[in-house]
Amino acid sequence: MGQLKLNALVKRFGSAEVIKSATLDIANGEFVVFVGPSGCGKSTLLRMIAGLEDVSGGTIEIDGRVVNDLAPVERGIAMVFQSYALYPHMTVYENIAFPLRVAKAPQAEVDRRVRQAAEVLQLTTRLEHRPGQLSGGQRQRVAIGRAIVREPRLFLFDEPLSNLDAALRAEMRLELSRLHAQLGNTMIYVTHDQVEAMTMADRIVVLQGGVIEQVGTPLELYHKPANQFVAGFIGNPKMNFLPATGVGTTEAGVQLRLFNGLELVVPVDGVVAAGEVLTVGIRPDDLLPSDAPGIQVIPEVIERLGNVSICYADAEGGISVNLVAGGLADLARGKPVNIGIDPACCHVFRSDGSALVRRFNITLARDKPHALA
Amino acid sequence: MIDRYRWYELVLIYAGILLTLIFLLAPFLEAFMVSLRPLEMIFRIPYRFFTDDMSVDAYVAMWSSVPDLPLYIFNSFFIAVSVTVLALACIIPAAYAVSRFTFFGRDAILAAFLGINMIGAAVLIIPLYKLMLSAGLLNTYLAMIIPGAAFSVPTGIFLMRSYFLRIPRELEEAAYVDGAGRLYTLWRVILPVSLPGIMVVAITTFIAAYAQQFLFALTFNAVDEYNPLPMGLYQFFGRERVLWNELMAASLTGILPVLLVYLFLQRHIVAGLTSGAVKE
Repeated sequence: MGQLKLNALVKRFGSAEVIKSATLDIANGEFVVFVGPSGCGKSTLLRMIAGLEDVSGGTIEIDGRVVNDLAPVERGIAMVFQSYALYPHMTVYENIAFPLRVAKAPQAEVDRRVRQAAEVLQLTTRLEHRPGQLSGGQRQRVAIGRAIVREPRLFLFDEPLSNLDAALRAEMRLELSRLHAQLGNTMIYVTHDQVEAMTMADRIVVLQGGVIEQVGTPLELYHKPANQFVAGFIGNPKMNFLPATGVGTTEAGVQLRLFNGLELVVPVDGVVAAGEVLTVGIRPDDLLPSDAPGIQVIPEVIERLGNVSICYADAEGGISVNLVAGGLADLARGKPVNIGIDPACCHVFRSDGSALVRRFNITLARDKPHALA
Repeated sequence: MIDRYRWYELVLIYAGILLTLIFLLAPFLEAFMVSLRPLEMIFRIPYRFFTDDMSVDAYVAMWSSVPDLPLYIFNSFFIAVSVTVLALACIIPAAYAVSRFTFFGRDAILAAFLGINMIGAAVLIIPLYKLMLSAGLLNTYLAMIIPGAAFSVPTGIFLMRSYFLRIPRELEEAAYVDGAGRLYTLWRVILPVSLPGIMVVAITTFIAAYAQQFLFALTFNAVDEYNPLPMGLYQFFGRERVLWNELMAASLTGILPVLLVYLFLQRHIVAGLTSGAVKE
């Protein structure tokens, strides 16, 4: 079992409140990713769950038992650190065996479990090496091995891939997802990289300034962000934010006027007053050069990636707009182009950042044909 | 690194090194030359560097002139080793504590250590004598070992602390998460990892203890069998004459143990002083 419940958890360092009343439920077997910009408190939250930081208020429950005052080992957790924290003077075998040695497990048991972990992580040929002789990816696997032998209820990962290069990171992401499927333990994973969050998580917890902004599946966060912060944080390149003013509310949604005078009816729930200050969010992927009603932009930088072209452009009034067009899209620096806006793709945020709920059902379906295909 | 010195700069650099080395090594060289000369020829005028009458006789004769010489050398070595062991036993836990825990008065204690270092042992010799007297330690090995260790602890703590501070905290946190206690972690993780640092502290303490024991032996010990080499060398001072050649021979022989220890451990010193300087 590995069920975790945070109840109004608070962490203070002196007078600074680093975690402000975090409440969260994590079911057994879930892969949950804490994501947020640096300094948002995600690592602190993880370290509190691990038992490395004490709790200033609220409770942490693992499998229905309050563990606030228990040592990490009594909580049934295992943790993988960003720097791997391998013991440089011990062999890979002894590194993996360390938790069992601490627990004074009999040698036969140690041997069996270390070899089993090494099997899972493809380290069998490396057991007699020292960490210094291993590559970054292998070191990471040893650190994971040290976590698995304990057979913990809860795995905690603190930015484990941030020291690896891009190619290896992609590979290890895949391996971690596989490992999760194979072991079926509850895993909590901290990262600042939203790609890691999107690719691995069953559910993502977005944090900012010590506050949980939203909890949801990757697609929920992408398609129905609860506020402007989550909308801007999830998705790459970043969502475009365009100033707008409210006109009224109709059956079909919210009627508003964009900064360039274009009037849209966006299918979202909620009531807006005439003249209310709003922000319209639209993802770069949902913008395409077309003759449909939209906005006029002047491309500034165009990145041709082959499969897509990422274009950084300026609209009137100095508003910057990014768009992801086809790989061969007819775009040129300085050449004005009209991009169409589909109201169904728009997000609407009030001036306090909160989102109006989109009328959009996340259903998996065949992809819509690409504009240029 | 690019070699960016011109030839005359190189000449100057090497000339500087040579000058320093001559300055440092000339006394040793002269001591060595004296040890090779017959006693009557040492003060020969005019001075001649190489002579025909050189021999290693003094190295043979010294053992019979001062029969206890092996004992003095052993004492020196024994005292220095004991000082090192005792000092390390104090330095390691203390340095670990000041590098890892925050407690009331920690910085004050560190500052005090630094201040104490500025007061030489000679200033404290009379109070120390009184202390030794009331503790009943005069004329024992301990009278030479304890002050020697005490005076090397502050520097040792500073050296060791800076080494401990370089060991990432995550290493201990990982051990803690895996269920290891503080002492287990210190013993199985921190000490092995900081071995190069411990070596540096051990060697500097050993050398300091070896050099410093004269003062403590002279003041706190009157028993000949416990005397270290520097005291034993006084036996070469006779009523009528001083056996300079044998004195020098015995002095040079006395340096040998330190030299051996240093040669044996020097790669640790270099590794210890430079490790962590460059990202590995």
